[in-house]
Amino acid sequence: MKKRLFRILLAATVTASVLVGCGGGETKTNTPTGGAAPPAEGGQTAAPAENLAASGDKIVINYWTEDRHDMGYFEEKIKEFNEMNDQNIEIVLTTITEDYPNMLAMSYSSGNAPDIAGIAGATTGFSLKTFAEAEIIAPVNDYIKDEEFEKVTEASTQIVEGMNAIDGNVYWIPTAVRSGSRIIYNKSILDEAGVTEYPKTVQELVDLSKLITEKGAGQFYGMGVTSSSPLVRWMEGSAEMSGIYRYDYENGKFNFDGYKDIITTANQLFTDNSIFPGSATQGVDAMRAQFTEGTFGIWANASQEAGVFTDQFPITKFDWVVEELPTMDGEVKGTLNLMTQKGYLLFSSCPNKDAAWEVIKFFSSEDFLKGYLEGGYALPVSSYMTERVDSTRTGRLADFALKNYEGVYPSIPAITVEGDDYKAVLWSAAKGEIGVDEAIADLNTRYNQALDTDVSMGKVKRVIIKNFDPLHPNDGTVEYLDK
Amino acid sequence: MSTWKEKIKHANSRGDFAAALMLLPSVVLLAVTSIYPFFWLFRYVCYDYNGFIAYYTGTHNFTRMLSDTTFWKSVLHTFEYAGLKLIFILPLSLLLAVLLNQKLRGSSIFRGIYFLPTVISASIYSLIFSFIFAVFNGPLNIALQNLGWISKPVDWLGDVNVVMFAVVIVAVWGGLGNYMILFISGLTSISEEVYESSRIDGANGIQTFFNVTLPMLSPVLKVILMLAITSAFKDYESIMVLTGGGPNNRSHVMFSYIYKLIFSSTSTPQIGYATVLSIVAALIIGVITAVYLFLARKLDDVI
Repeated sequence: MKKRLFRILLAATVTASVLVGCGGGETKTNTPTGGAAPPAEGGQTAAPAENLAASGDKIVINYWTEDRHDMGYFEEKIKEFNEMNDQNIEIVLTTITEDYPNMLAMSYSSGNAPDIAGIAGATTGFSLKTFAEAEIIAPVNDYIKDEEFEKVTEASTQIVEGMNAIDGNVYWIPTAVRSGSRIIYNKSILDEAGVTEYPKTVQELVDLSKLITEKGAGQFYGMGVTSSSPLVRWMEGSAEMSGIYRYDYENGKFNFDGYKDIITTANQLFTDNSIFPGSATQGVDAMRAQFTEGTFGIWANASQEAGVFTDQFPITKFDWVVEELPTMDGEVKGTLNLMTQKGYLLFSSCPNKDAAWEVIKFFSSEDFLKGYLEGGYALPVSSYMTERVDSTRTGRLADFALKNYEGVYPSIPAITVEGDDYKAVLWSAAKGEIGVDEAIADLNTRYNQALDTDVSMGKVKRVIIKNFDPLHPNDGTVEYLDK
Repeated sequence: MSTWKEKIKHANSRGDFAAALMLLPSVVLLAVTSIYPFFWLFRYVCYDYNGFIAYYTGTHNFTRMLSDTTFWKSVLHTFEYAGLKLIFILPLSLLLAVLLNQKLRGSSIFRGIYFLPTVISASIYSLIFSFIFAVFNGPLNIALQNLGWISKPVDWLGDVNVVMFAVVIVAVWGGLGNYMILFISGLTSISEEVYESSRIDGANGIQTFFNVTLPMLSPVLKVILMLAITSAFKDYESIMVLTGGGPNNRSHVMFSYIYKLIFSSTSTPQIGYATVLSIVAALIIGVITAVYLFLARKLDDVI
C-alpha cells in the first residue's frame, strides 16, 4: 500500500512539474494587426523623449545586424556612445549571422524583437511588404524630417517605393552603398599568361578563363565561382550593363528572353572546364580563401571585397586589380544595379521609439559615417558625405568607386514565385544542367503567372514605366496598376 | 454487476491510477509537441501564408502540389536515397555487429569507434565531409587518384550523376554505428546454448549465421528495419549542409524541399503550401511503414 502511495505521489509530482513547465513559458502572443504593443524586455517602461535624461535607469536599445565585416567599427563607436551620450541610452549590439530575416520575424512573433535592426537593399529574403503589412516595423516619416539627418543622408532623395517605402510610408533610409559587381584579377597569373588587356566583352572573359586554365596546367585555373548567389557575382551585372533586365518596365511584365546570349556564352566556361574545379559547390568564403592562395585568376564581386581582401583574407602573395564588368558587345547600354546599405528599421514593438531614433541618428551622423566610409566599409550614398570623405584614406575601396552607369532600379513587384527563382534557374542553365531556351520559357511562364495571381489577389501592384530608359531607369513616369 | 465503487477499488488495486498518472506527462507532451502541431498544419492548407498574413487561395495549393515537378522528383529522390542507404547500411551494420560480438580483444574499442559518428551532430560531420569531397586537392579524390581508380577528380557534390552516392556515403557513415549497437543488443539476447548445439551438429560459421543467428534475430530485425526505414525517409539534415538540395535539385528529398519552402533565406516563407506538402510526405511515410509492417508480420513468428 505504501509503495502504491509513493508511486502515485511520484507520478503526481512529475505531472505537476511538467504542466507547470509547459504553462510557465511565453504566454503572450503578438497580434500583428493593431494589438497591444508587447511589453519591453528587461521590464523597461516607455519614457517620453524629454524625460529620457531624467530617469535613473538606462534606456536599453537593442540593435541587431547581420553585418560582420564592420563589427569592429560598430563595437568601438557604440562603446563611445554608451559612455558619452547625455540621454541615458545604452545600445546593445547583437550580430545575427544566419537566416537574418527569419530571425527578425520569429523574434517579433515571440515578443523578443530588437528595437532597431540593420537593413540593406540587398538583404536576401527580407520582404519589406510583409514586415510593413504585418506592422512589425514602424514608419519613420516624421523622424526623417530632422534637419541634421536630412542634411547628412539627403533622406528625401533616397526614398524608393518598394525598397524602403510602401504606399508613402518610409521605413528606412540608406546611409551607404555597395558598388555594383567588378571583376577582380590576380595580376601575377595574368602576367604569367601574357595578358595585358582586360576583357571588355563576356566572350573575351570566357576566352581569358580558358587561356589561364591551359597555362595553369592543374596548378591554377581561370575563373572561380561559388554556390552562394553565383548569378549576382558578375553575370547579372554584365547583363544589366548590356541592357538586359528581367522585368520589362514598359509592358509591366517579366521577360527573361534577353538572357539567352549571355547564358550561352557563360556556359562555355563549364564546357571548356575553365573554372576552378568544384567551385560551383563551394561557399563564398571558401572561394575567397582559394583566390587569396592564388589558385585561380578571375573572381567577381562588389565593393565588399575591398575589405575582404585587406582584412578578412588579406592578399599578400600577388597584386590584384579591379576592373569593370564586361558586357555583351563591349558597350554599356544599361544601368548596373547598386545595393544600398546601412539602413535601420524601427520596430513597432519598441517602447522607446524616440530613444531608438536617437540611436539611428547617431549611426547616420556625419562623424559616424565619415569614420565608417573612410574605414573602407562601404561607399557614400549622399553627395554631402561624398564631399566629406577623404577618398585617399579608404584603401582599396577607391578601386570600387562608383561609375556613372551605376544606379538603383525602380523596385519591381515582390511576387511569390512557385518553384526555383530566376537566379537558380539561370545559373543551372549556365552550368548546362538545363537547356537555355527551356529555362527562359519556364521563367517567363512562372514569373508572369505569379505576377498575374498576386496582382489579382491584391498582394502587389503591377509597375509600368512609360519611356523607360535602361541607362536612366528612374527618369520615366511610374504607374501602379491593379490589373 | 459490480458497482462503481467496486470498479474503482478494483482498478486501484491493479495500479491503474498510478499508471495513468505516470503516463500523463508523456501524453501531455506528445499532445503539445506532436499532435497539436500536426493538426495545426491543416489550418493553412488553403492559404498563402507568410507567417504573418494569410491570403485565402482555395484549392490552389493542392493543384500546385499535383503539378509541382520539383516536389515529385524530390519524392523519387527520397525513395532513391532511402533505398540506397538501407541496402548498404543494414548488411554492413549487421556484419559489423556479428564481427564485434565475437569475444575478441579490443572489440569494445572498435564498437566505440564505430558508434562515434552517432554522437556527432549531422551538420558537423557533413561539413567535414564537404571538405573531404572537395574537387581541388580534396582528400578523397587524391586517395582515389593515387590508387588509380579514377583518372581525374570527381565532382562529388556538383555532378548530378554522383551527388546521390556522395550523400548516401555520408548517411551510411553517420548511421552505421547506431544500427550496429542495436544489432549487437539483439545478438546478445540469443542464448549461447543454441550456438553450442549448432556447433555439435557440425554447422560452420556461415550456416550458423543464416540458420541460427538471422532467424533468432528476426523480432529485433523487424524493429530495426522499421526504425531504419522511417528515419531514412525523414533524413535531410546532412543533405542541407552538403548540397542544399542541389545541383539543379538533384539531391532534394521531400523534407529538404519543404524546409526550403519555409526557411529559405532567399524567398518569403510559403508556409501554406509547405503544410500541404508536409501532409503528403507524412502520408507517404505512413503508407510505407504500414506496408512494411504488413509484409513483416512473419518476422514475429520465428520464436
